[in-house]
Amino acid sequence: MPASTAGSTQAMQTFRVLPFAPPPGSVALREEIRAFIAENMPHMDAPQRVNSWAVGNREFSRALGRAGYIGMTWPKRYGGRDRHPLERYIVLEELLAAGAPVGMHWIADRQSGPLILRFGTEEQRMQFLPRIAAGELFGCIGMSEPGTGSDLASVRMRAVRDGDSWRVNGQKVWTTNAHNAGLMIALLRTGEAGGRHEGLTQFLVDLTAPGVTVRPIIDLAGGHDFNEVFFDDVLIPDTMRVGAEGDGWKQVTAELSLERSGPERYMSCFGLFLTLIQRAGANPDAAMTGLIGRLSAELWTLRQMSMSAAAQLAAGNDPMLEAAIVKDLGNSFEQELPRLVQAAADADMDLSANEDFARLLALLLQISPSFSLRGGTREILRGIIARNLGLR
Amino acid sequence: MSDNTMNDNQSLLTDAAGRLFADLAVGRDAEFTDLWPSVDEAGFPLLLVPEGDGGFGGSWKDAFAVLRLAGYHALPLPVGESVVATWLLNRSGLERPAGLATIAARTEGKLKNGHFTGQVSGVPWGHEAAGIVAVLDGHLILLSVDDAVSVARQENPADEPRDTLHFDKAAVAYAPCTTDLLALGALIRTAQIAGAMDAALAQSIAYANERVQFGKPIGKFQALQQNLAVFAEEAAAVNCAGQAAFAAADKYDGNAGFEVAAAKLRANMAIGIGTSTAHQLHGAIGFTREYGLHPLTRRLWSWRSEFGNDRLWSQRLGRWVIAAGADAFWPNLTDRSDAKSA
Repeated sequence: MPASTAGSTQAMQTFRVLPFAPPPGSVALREEIRAFIAENMPHMDAPQRVNSWAVGNREFSRALGRAGYIGMTWPKRYGGRDRHPLERYIVLEELLAAGAPVGMHWIADRQSGPLILRFGTEEQRMQFLPRIAAGELFGCIGMSEPGTGSDLASVRMRAVRDGDSWRVNGQKVWTTNAHNAGLMIALLRTGEAGGRHEGLTQFLVDLTAPGVTVRPIIDLAGGHDFNEVFFDDVLIPDTMRVGAEGDGWKQVTAELSLERSGPERYMSCFGLFLTLIQRAGANPDAAMTGLIGRLSAELWTLRQMSMSAAAQLAAGNDPMLEAAIVKDLGNSFEQELPRLVQAAADADMDLSANEDFARLLALLLQISPSFSLRGGTREILRGIIARNLGLR
Repeated sequence: MSDNTMNDNQSLLTDAAGRLFADLAVGRDAEFTDLWPSVDEAGFPLLLVPEGDGGFGGSWKDAFAVLRLAGYHALPLPVGESVVATWLLNRSGLERPAGLATIAARTEGKLKNGHFTGQVSGVPWGHEAAGIVAVLDGHLILLSVDDAVSVARQENPADEPRDTLHFDKAAVAYAPCTTDLLALGALIRTAQIAGAMDAALAQSIAYANERVQFGKPIGKFQALQQNLAVFAEEAAAVNCAGQAAFAAADKYDGNAGFEVAAAKLRANMAIGIGTSTAHQLHGAIGFTREYGLHPLTRRLWSWRSEFGNDRLWSQRLGRWVIAAGADAFWPNLTDRSDAKSA
């Protein structure tokens, strides 16, 4: 228990810091990906260059895939490039810093692929990974249901054995990217909820299969990121089961640190920050200078934290606590940024003006509530942090 | 040296520092002259001096680990100040004074023909020191405390000496120097803040698990858990920022201006949440002189102002970022953290 060490010589340290030490050639890699972006980046309005891991572009994802920037840490035999995880990190942060549209393949690269690689069969790996890495197959995650949000153990949608297949009826909801994805990783109930998280199993679902219907859910700003997905007597072959029956929960939680500590957790409003610097001009007042200084310090710190968690993951550790900290602190930062900018902007700033800054700020004010919801709510994360501190 | 050897050396160092500082902290009310010799004799002031010059040959990263522990134990001694002063003197080829060498937070006056007239203020343990290192007009100067015409003893809110000394045509040793002493002071405070934040967090967690109200430990209440989680996030941010700034000091030979500014500012920002959460959680007991929370929190409040408050560092950092321009922000950030050679 960390708490019991207070006052002893073994000083408690909540966040283990590991240096970010990518293999030689990382500077060249950074230049490479910058050149790639310069060459392939489609023209996009300012509001599309923020929160860009939710902005999809098929051509751009395909170009990234061809160039080897999707699934880049996976073995070559599955279409990957055998690159180091910290090389992947460099590519990701460059894409986000440029506001590149990476939403189409983001989930497949971050979650679907790694899950199949780790828990899937050889057949599943050969079938899906090369297409994901090529930027041709995109993914989505089917976890939430109408009665299941933060409390994942309450998943009710059931897969029932039917010969060599599983028959599935029910509904998933808030499924980001389902309208673009060919593949869903669905968490389904295959047994009774004995213990808290028993009886759940993961399946690879072909979204073009008969009986699957995807319907859009339009968000408050008029955007279309998430969907409801209905299953009507959908047959999933048993060969599409990932891992053993009942191992679903264990597998879902195994990858959470990767999902929570990436650069996307603090960079969603990066484009707004750059615009703020631009608009400040050469000689802003002390309040604006101070705000830019403060945001720079927070951003620099979050980058160090995210990089440290990435180094932990690369070293084979599971930085559960560190990842939860990065996500909550990063989300709080990117959520506060639009509000701070709104408060500090020119006194006659007009949110209805038809210019980039106003549209960018207006969009981020509206969508930023989602930052501390997606991928684990603030309250759940803080509960995890508290438990890891030795409370509860 | 391989990474493993370095890590082994650092853990030997932190073990020794942790034991010594914890022991000394128990007798924190003792006289300086009773406490300091064991730190001095253990060689901590020589931490950054190369082995060839009789020092420990440590890195700035090692210094972070040691100074973080000094902060963790709320050690009432100028360990960081002596490390910085000794390092600067050694680099400039000036002889170390026999006794404590400390640094000046502020220096006003003039240096003429090797003589200094003016005042140094905010000098940690100035009246106990043998020598004070200051930077003035591109020179590092070493003032002998014996030469001061007046020594005004002052203390910060944590009872740590922050003295003002006047000199009138005092002969000083001096050498050219481009070091930003304010930044080095801010750097050491950042490590101390990191340690004190973690210690206040550890105390708060221990208390939350032990204090029973409404029939259960107060740490079982979600409201407190959520507050402590936020405190832990802030402590984590300071620790991470501090370590990154010290790593940058290694990379840039003590001149990590950008990283120091960002880290000290981030540390300052964290202090408000950390101290208020710790005190709120402890209730009345934490507000007493007897209980061991205030040595941490009163230091944190003091250190927040020392070697640059939020305003100073946010203005500096903001001006740098604005001068470089929006397009340069990201490339500058990555250039500074990327390996020097690919």
